[in-house]
Amino acid sequence: MYSVESLLRDIKNTSLSKPFRILNVCGGHERAITRAGFRTLFQHNIHLIPGPGCPVCICPEEDIAYAIHLAINENVVIVSFGDMLRVPVEHEMGGCSSLIDAKNQGADIRPISSPQEAVSIALEEPRKVIVFFAVGFETTMAPIAATLLNDLPNNFKVLLSGRLTWPAVAHVLESQPNTFDALIAPGHVATIMGSEEWQFAIDHHNLPVSIAGFHPESLLLSLQTLLGNCSNKVVTLSNRYPEVVKQNGNAAAKAIINKAFTIVDAHWRGIGVIPGSGFSFASRLSHLDATNDYAPVDFPSQCAQNVPETTSPCEKVILGKMAPDACPFFGQECKPASPKGACMVSDEGACRIWYSSGERSITNVIKKGNTLKVEMK
Amino acid sequence: MCLAIPMKVIAIKGFNATCEAKGVSREVSLHLVQGLEVKVGDYVMVHVGYALQVITYDDAQVTWEMLDQVIAYDA
Ligand code: SF4
Ligand code: SF4
Repeated sequence: MYSVESLLRDIKNTSLSKPFRILNVCGGHERAITRAGFRTLFQHNIHLIPGPGCPVCICPEEDIAYAIHLAINENVVIVSFGDMLRVPVEHEMGGCSSLIDAKNQGADIRPISSPQEAVSIALEEPRKVIVFFAVGFETTMAPIAATLLNDLPNNFKVLLSGRLTWPAVAHVLESQPNTFDALIAPGHVATIMGSEEWQFAIDHHNLPVSIAGFHPESLLLSLQTLLGNCSNKVVTLSNRYPEVVKQNGNAAAKAIINKAFTIVDAHWRGIGVIPGSGFSFASRLSHLDATNDYAPVDFPSQCAQNVPETTSPCEKVILGKMAPDACPFFGQECKPASPKGACMVSDEGACRIWYSSGERSITNVIKKGNTLKVEMK
Repeated sequence: MCLAIPMKVIAIKGFNATCEAKGVSREVSLHLVQGLEVKVGDYVMVHVGYALQVITYDDAQVTWEMLDQVIAYDA
């Protein structure tokens, strides 16, 4: 049994010759870290760096622009997870710079909270074409896959923009060698895909990895383990969310994903094209692909190609190269109510999380947390 | 976007379950946990209407405490 206090003490007292740089790639983790105040608390020995952790933030502009185009020019109903509606695109489509803009101008665009809800809308509106703009990482793509493998009405189409997490992390590690000392791997992605998926970071990048859950104890256990790796000069894969994450994940969910989708190269906003990082329809589902039924639009930018590095502040934040509050727009031109970049829109965007938190103190968490004990498995 | 929340299984009919958390009930698909045994009274992690994993009561409790803080803190 480990108490929060002893974990905090342990981590704070670990002395290192230089700060230990830990990349996290999950908006849920970033939120928990920021809320608990771990960044401030451990600043003398740990740097906690948010990376590409949110499927909304990295959804390419051309996909959003295409969804706007379908809604305003092709008279379809676009349904998507709520956050997607507010994500701004730099190149306007028909005078609209987000789906919500298009909605305000009369396009039929509706927020949903589950893929099943998208199907229900199609059943309720048989005379309309419903396009489900499907965005997500593995965690969300598994439920989407399960939904798409059901019998679906003919008026139901999908604009698929799902992504795999690990290839983006591999990309960040390859393109910025010697920038990070350890990785906190995403708990809910690993719930589906298994902890073993992160072995590559150890094998190819010599980076210790710990899978964390979302409560402070679990994150502290991960931090402690990673620091221990550093002190003992070992590199291990540890699972600090074993109650939910299994070594090989959820086999049924993985089989369903493989049945519904194939893996393709895909574009990430702010990053460029990453090989083998996107979901495409398996041939049995290719009839659902909305891009078969509607002509493509000209999207004026480098977006469809590989943009290895640019100067937009959001892109630096997504790649873990810049802290959100170092952006000149942070809290000024860019706020949750009037976002300039995607990272300020999504609940799991690093800028949004930092903006909503201000300075947080650890004391609240300890008060809550000292009744909880975490068992090491 | 893909927060998973713990819910208690109240009733099961084929692949569909009625789950409850904090007095709110919801239809949840058990499609993705078909390899696991899920019984009435069990706790599951639910994401966008699908159960992703079966968890214990204690784990559900811990996650709920965390979520309560998130909600209180965002409000
Ligand atoms: S829970 Fe999944 S989708 Fe959500 S931030 Fe974490 S890794 Fe990303
Ligand atoms: S503060 Fe706004 S503009 Fe700056 S990086 Fe964040 S989302 Fe982008």
